[in-house]
Amino acid sequence: MIKIKNLTCSYDKNIILQSTDAVIEDDITILGINGSGKSTLAKAICGLLDYKGEILVDATDIKNLTFVQRAKLISYIPAKLDVYDRFITVEEFVLLGRFAHKGGFSTYSQTDKDMAKSMIKLLGIEHLGKHTLNSLSSGEQQLVQIASSLTQQSKIIIFDEPTANLDPKNSKKIAKHIKELKNRYFVILITHDLHLANYIGSEILFLKDKKLQHFKQSDNFFEPKNLSELFGVEFDGMDIKYG
Amino acid sequence: MVRYFIWISLVLISIFSAFFGAVDINLHDLSNPDSLGYKIFFFIRLPRVVFAFFAGAILALGGLLFQTLFRNSLMTPYTLGISSGAVLGAGIAIKLGLGTLLFGFGAIEIFGFGGALFSVLLLLYLSYFLKGLGQNSLLLLGIALSFFYTSALMVVFYLGSAIQNDTLIRFTMGSLGVISWQKPVILGFCATFLSIVIYMYRFDLQLFAISSQHATLKGVNIKKTTTILLVVSSFTIGVLVSMSGPIGFVGLVIPHMVSRLYAQSINHLIIKTALFGGMFLIACDTLSRTLNTQSELPIGIITSLIGVPFFIYLLIKK
Repeated sequence: MIKIKNLTCSYDKNIILQSTDAVIEDDITILGINGSGKSTLAKAICGLLDYKGEILVDATDIKNLTFVQRAKLISYIPAKLDVYDRFITVEEFVLLGRFAHKGGFSTYSQTDKDMAKSMIKLLGIEHLGKHTLNSLSSGEQQLVQIASSLTQQSKIIIFDEPTANLDPKNSKKIAKHIKELKNRYFVILITHDLHLANYIGSEILFLKDKKLQHFKQSDNFFEPKNLSELFGVEFDGMDIKYG
Repeated sequence: MVRYFIWISLVLISIFSAFFGAVDINLHDLSNPDSLGYKIFFFIRLPRVVFAFFAGAILALGGLLFQTLFRNSLMTPYTLGISSGAVLGAGIAIKLGLGTLLFGFGAIEIFGFGGALFSVLLLLYLSYFLKGLGQNSLLLLGIALSFFYTSALMVVFYLGSAIQNDTLIRFTMGSLGVISWQKPVILGFCATFLSIVIYMYRFDLQLFAISSQHATLKGVNIKKTTTILLVVSSFTIGVLVSMSGPIGFVGLVIPHMVSRLYAQSINHLIIKTALFGGMFLIACDTLSRTLNTQSELPIGIITSLIGVPFFIYLLIKK
């Protein structure tokens, strides 16, 4: 369970979220207009961003966690991975997911290596093992990042717009993986894609006017009328009306 | 193939380097401790070769470390002004005419280290105000500071006597000339220390080389790790610069050469970069001693003259 209490996030003097609260009991999908603070919220949870207020995971304030403890608890998958190292391979990258588990300055154990291999296999990317990360397509990169997060064995996995750069076929593939992962992990999905949000079927956290708004299953979030109200454009089903 | 050719040449040059120079040395001299050849070989040439090896290793490792920590191909202790800071520190010690101070380290070494440490801490402190402006601002900041230290050194020149200035000018040209084993041994400890620390942090660095965000997410305390690694490398670079003067180019280019030769991720390149940098500098130094028998060419000239064409070749060749 994640409890957000009196959370304020800002970039310089620009306040993104202001004194907002939420209680997230299970998998959740975060929606909102551009600049509403979806990624900001995710980054605050991951420790990438300073914030005021409290974020509690199972009653532990995540501000009190070390980086290693936090990595064991939460992993974050960005829409796109920027990699400076041109020569790192998929196998090496996935193995780095075990960094928080290997302890101190020790090297990776056989167990770590086996786990990385099995996650690569699970996602069906064995054939990419020796490829460099930069040579992969966006879809392949997403799969590799998921493998890395699973290797990290964190309880919470945050997907930040996982299908933003993907073609329909790859989007479907990733969506299936996310839905499957919901059974075993606490999945937080950030997206603009209402169809994806609907398919994943988690409760919705909507970000608007610097606040968080929680929609339970019974709240009929995907009703066109509700969507029109929230996004400020007319909807036909889950699609916006053009023209 | 290219890889083996380069390594074999470097190893051969390194082994035979001590035999080259203004005075010819034959094998017969080496078994006669009273001969001039023996003394030149064991107390001038060999210490110099060893010194050059450790100097090259430190410079190359420093470059690899800075490029990885900041994910920018142009980041080196040299471009970020750490070397200039060390030169300024050492220059002040020369101007003040300070002799030996503590633990066998001379005042020049201590001031050199102080200058390096001061410049790295100033850079880190100022970089906190650069939030969101990216790596290019840090690089600009380093270059600006580098100019500042160089100007401050000019002030030291201006105030110095002719004799002090002659020492200073020769110092700023950079030289690997050492007499006896004291400096090579100290530098050897520094190089070993730096290699061990970087090797210990090799997986952290592998994460840094992906992105700082990725490193944080996988459990690296970025601020702490960066500070430790920068302070350790500034220490070794400060000691090196105070002994040899500034030697450019090696730190910038050797890490790129090694990574292009091997096409591997950083944690596989640490030892190779140290060895390559060390032997590259021995090779350059051998040339600087043999090209002109009247006097030595400053080492910095040779490193660039050989290194640049070779680097361009590696850049163009896929």
